[in-house]
Amino acid sequence: MALLEIRNLHATVDDKPIINGLDLTIGGGEVHAIMGPNGSGKSTLSYVLSGRAGYEVTEGEVLFDGKNLLEMEADERAREGVFLAFQYPVEIPGVTGITFLRTAVNAVRQHHGEAPFDAMDFVKFVREKAAGLNVSDDMLKRAVNTGFSGGEKKRMEILQMAALDPKLAILDETDSGLDIDALKVVADGVNAMRTKERGLLVITHYQRLLDYIVPDHVHVLAKGRIVKSGGKELALELEESGYAEFLEDAA
Amino acid sequence: MPDGSGHMQPYLDQALEGSGSFAGAGTDWVDALRRDGAHAYGLHGLPKRRDEYWRYTNLNALADEQFRLSDGAPAIGLPSLPHKLVAELATYRVVVVNGRLRPDLCALGELPDDVLVSGLEDMLTAAPARLEPYLGKIIRLNDMPMAALNTAFLNDGMVMFVGDGIVLDKPVHLISITAPGADAMMVQPRHLVVMGKDTTATLIETHITTEGGSSFNNIVSELHLDEGANLNHFVFQEESKTTVHLSGTAVAMAAKTTYDSFVLQSGAAIGRSEIRAYMNGPGSDCRLDGVYLATDKQVVDNTTFVEHAAPECRSRQVYKGVLDGQSRGVFQGKVHVMRDAQKTDGHQLSRALLLSPRAEIDARPELEIYADDVKCSHGATAGELDEDLMFYLLSRGIPREQARRMLIEAFLSEAIAEIPLEQVAEDFTTHVRQWLVDNVDAHAGQDAT
Repeated sequence: MALLEIRNLHATVDDKPIINGLDLTIGGGEVHAIMGPNGSGKSTLSYVLSGRAGYEVTEGEVLFDGKNLLEMEADERAREGVFLAFQYPVEIPGVTGITFLRTAVNAVRQHHGEAPFDAMDFVKFVREKAAGLNVSDDMLKRAVNTGFSGGEKKRMEILQMAALDPKLAILDETDSGLDIDALKVVADGVNAMRTKERGLLVITHYQRLLDYIVPDHVHVLAKGRIVKSGGKELALELEESGYAEFLEDAA
Repeated sequence: MPDGSGHMQPYLDQALEGSGSFAGAGTDWVDALRRDGAHAYGLHGLPKRRDEYWRYTNLNALADEQFRLSDGAPAIGLPSLPHKLVAELATYRVVVVNGRLRPDLCALGELPDDVLVSGLEDMLTAAPARLEPYLGKIIRLNDMPMAALNTAFLNDGMVMFVGDGIVLDKPVHLISITAPGADAMMVQPRHLVVMGKDTTATLIETHITTEGGSSFNNIVSELHLDEGANLNHFVFQEESKTTVHLSGTAVAMAAKTTYDSFVLQSGAAIGRSEIRAYMNGPGSDCRLDGVYLATDKQVVDNTTFVEHAAPECRSRQVYKGVLDGQSRGVFQGKVHVMRDAQKTDGHQLSRALLLSPRAEIDARPELEIYADDVKCSHGATAGELDEDLMFYLLSRGIPREQARRMLIEAFLSEAIAEIPLEQVAEDFTTHVRQWLVDNVDAHAGQDAT
């Protein structure tokens, strides 16, 4: 059984069709990249999968670990093991990073029948995860993402991913706003989480990120459908040729 | 004192009947003060919608139900207080039950020399001359009809004098208990604080109600800050939902003073905190902050008036609240900058979070400026929880109800974080958290998307 099976997915935003019959299967341990031009539906796909309000599925189905993902609320999907690393992580003034992380991790643990961490144990747990990502104690004590640089926000996303240990992680334009050094730190963090069980869906406009997070499969998304699939070399081809041919084809 | 149609204004008869037996009766200036209060209230009566400062808070409940003046403090003990850390804090404790000082429940041992904390009734009887320069001197009776009514009933409450140069080592904790019997009961407490030159003190107030019938608590506090005085003032208003709680505070600020006030209101059917700060001397700093929590049909009203009469003063106001159910919030704040008050720096901000489609906020921040070299700003926002923030929390597996509580608490915590006394800030936070658990869960599914 595949980890994620998307069949003939159609979705609208404000009654406007954005995803138009998308099929995608991701097995455990696989890294899939979705590339496509602006407006092709990349971010919409990430929100549909993570259950954001306002993204309405009009047709098709999504099975996650054999369960009907679309019937679950966003928070339940997350507890079941779907993680979205945001393109633009929001700032939450008034909630410290450590409190936020502990609340999330404990919600997931309790969902799986595990005992919640107390404050002391959690600090130990999160420090281990944070070390490799260059996330300092000071960052964790501050309000979530508040006043963080672009790189700090993305590192915080990956730390959350590491702490929540999802079955499927969706990375939405994780490279946007990062310089090359920051990108390497983030990519190393993601690569450290590649296991033979975990699936990764890397959404990106540019090929650059895929030099660091090397995918098993690359798909081209245009006008809400996957129009071409291939191996990692497809990303390099796209870098050469651009997306123009797909826009014309799909039109 | 009949009104034009020959009717007596509500409650005035009780004030007039009692005036002969109130403390200090027979002392000319005390009698005159009560008469002035009765006169001002008699001309005005209960506030009406057309009154500038009562446009949004309706007191018909006071006209409909006949509240009788409490006939003294019942022999209750000190109930357990809702705030753990503040309750455990080393303080000078003053307990007022139904507006009457209860010396047996107070704990005032070891007050420094030249600091006096006493009951108003005792002072009016034994040493009225000491009160004369202060009592009734700040309240403008024509601007505050309910304070005028309180003045007509002037009898008991807390008096605090802090002598020049004193930095009080512990906060004074005024515990104000409304203990109604079976019938509708009214109390009219009157407090007076006189801070001498270059003094520092902290006053914490806790307002609670014991079980019983409905009650009407009409409090007036006058705070005199002489040159260089600093007063921190924290108020927990948690009276029961069968209480009408009206609090009128007037602060006179001489030069180089600071007044730092934080009012938490979550109790009462109608809870109103009206603060009037008169910045009479230059170089002073006034902070009026507050947080309110309301649900069901509660009305919570924060009304402020800051008069900048002297140059180079600063005033800051931040009120934040959460309104659920069919509750209503009111914020009316005016910063009045007089012609001589150059270099005034005045800001006010009202932010309300509406958790239910039937909750409502009336916010009216106002600036009235007659000086030309000032820096003033005001603003008001009202809205629902931010959906982007909500989704971020949900996407991390945090259940919706818990996510709502976290975001609401975060919204309020910015204001609470400004409180300089840690125990007060922590108790406010604990209180907010518990309130959210008690009140917000039940409605959490309501706006599920």
